[in-house]
Amino acid sequence: MSTRRLFDIDGRTERYRSVLRENWFTYLLIMPVLLFLIVLMWLPFLQGIYMSFNEWPFGGDPTWIGAANYEFLLNWEPFYTSLKATAIFSLTTVFQLGVALAAALAVRELRRGKSFVSAAFLLSYTMPPLVIGTIWAYLLEPDFGPVFGYLTELNVLGETIYWGSSGPMSLAVVMFVTTWTFWPFMFLIISASLESIPEELYESARMYGAGPVQTFLRVTLPQLKSAILVALSIRIIWNMTKISQVLQLTNGGPGYDTSILAVLLYQFAYERGQMGISYAIGIVLLVMTLGFVFVFIREFERASEGAGA
Amino acid sequence: MSTTGYDATGVTLKATAYGVVAFLVLANLVPFLFILSVSFMPPSEFFTDPHLVPYEPTLEAWTSGFEELRGNLVNSFLIGAGTALLALVITIPGAYAFARKEFYGKTAGFYAIISAMMFPYILLVIPIMDLWTALGVYNTIFGMILAYQVFVTPFSIWILRDFFENLPTDIEEAAQVYGCTQFTAFVRVILPLAAPGIVAVGFLAFLTGWNDFLFANLLTTGTGPVPAVPVLYGTIGGGSGERVYWGKLMAETLIIGTPPTIIYLVARNYLESAFSV
Repeated sequence: MSTRRLFDIDGRTERYRSVLRENWFTYLLIMPVLLFLIVLMWLPFLQGIYMSFNEWPFGGDPTWIGAANYEFLLNWEPFYTSLKATAIFSLTTVFQLGVALAAALAVRELRRGKSFVSAAFLLSYTMPPLVIGTIWAYLLEPDFGPVFGYLTELNVLGETIYWGSSGPMSLAVVMFVTTWTFWPFMFLIISASLESIPEELYESARMYGAGPVQTFLRVTLPQLKSAILVALSIRIIWNMTKISQVLQLTNGGPGYDTSILAVLLYQFAYERGQMGISYAIGIVLLVMTLGFVFVFIREFERASEGAGA
Repeated sequence: MSTTGYDATGVTLKATAYGVVAFLVLANLVPFLFILSVSFMPPSEFFTDPHLVPYEPTLEAWTSGFEELRGNLVNSFLIGAGTALLALVITIPGAYAFARKEFYGKTAGFYAIISAMMFPYILLVIPIMDLWTALGVYNTIFGMILAYQVFVTPFSIWILRDFFENLPTDIEEAAQVYGCTQFTAFVRVILPLAAPGIVAVGFLAFLTGWNDFLFANLLTTGTGPVPAVPVLYGTIGGGSGERVYWGKLMAETLIIGTPPTIIYLVARNYLESAFSV
């Protein structure tokens, strides 16, 4: 596998041909996956970009309208509400990391019962998110759900809170439920990585007289770096595109206060049948997601260089 | 003196750890206890003061919930099983090639597939709705199975490649010495050894098909093969304030939520080994 002939133009086609001849069976093996991803991902994605420049009713005939869908969004007040909601909502990823890190570090200290504890943790993650959303819709129902029922009975609250009619409170509820549902995913990845840190590192840290805080900052965190990086990047993207719980809990309301971009996309496609605008929202969502991931990875690199460990 | 100081922090740490674990376990289990209790309550009991043990437990919510969902549960099962099977057929050869063959473009191809995991899938739903209508698989079980491959194939390749990679090198050649062809060596030696990974991928794919809401809701209509999850969405419609028989709804959430939980508990060891990064 030398690369020295890579820039030799004459030899190139011949090289490709011989590569194909030698490895045709291997290429045949990976063909199904590549084919499926092209047909299921890249073709729809490209078609979607084209759709966003059209007036495209579901099942109807498209009309080319240039950038009008994007212009519509930029001049549409709720779009900005939605952008703001999306930005705030994305903080759920940070909360998930916090809970997952605390849980993983705490579980490591356990002598026994680890298996039971992690099974209990993962309960919320294995069930369909919409099921969890429905469960919380009941638990947090203001009139007869148990949460506010107990809070008023125990006089913690004077009267129940109709959170559904307040934008900030609805957003808080949606973020709480999302965090509650998805933190176990990060817990899985972080605790697997925690288990694999070699014990010698801790022994030598102890020998040099490092305290628990120092050990955590100098040994544990740097070792967890790639696990946290992977978990956070995946969850940033996945959290921003999960809509079932938001739909079930608030349906994007009140007004557009909890309509994160993904929900807006859904509403335009499903309720209004305007696929073009819907995909234009999707493009904005994609850019925003990639932006978040990019900024996060850059900051992460910088922070870990600064730590010097 | 420093030793006592160290012990004190040690004890505090342990206590904090146990406290965190206890809190999180309760936070995860108590909500389900309430749901379980409500699912046994007759409708009249929800509106009284909150209580955990039903005064007059009844199975009505469970039987009527199950009755209502039966057809949808069958759809969900078919979709989940089909997704798992198709995913394995597509990804086992690919993962094997990425793990044990050398070829031009290997690294680039692998990352092209894995990076699909980072793609916000919601962007694909809309064109796929359109495409599936054109292809005539909109509103069919096969169409859903096909669509879920976009979620499932990247992580299947990722997990399976690791399993194939960790098998002893030259094991195929050893099998060939004993008279296997390349193909029978793969079927009779490699596949059985990679079984834990295959099981893990199969279960994860099944869970994807069973748990998803987005594709399930957008690629079916009321007249088609609707799986169980979207049925729940119709019920409270984002708190529209209609009268809801919460007991039945909660029984339904548990009916839909139980199969994935059982699968997870059965397949835990496989899944956890698959998740280490």
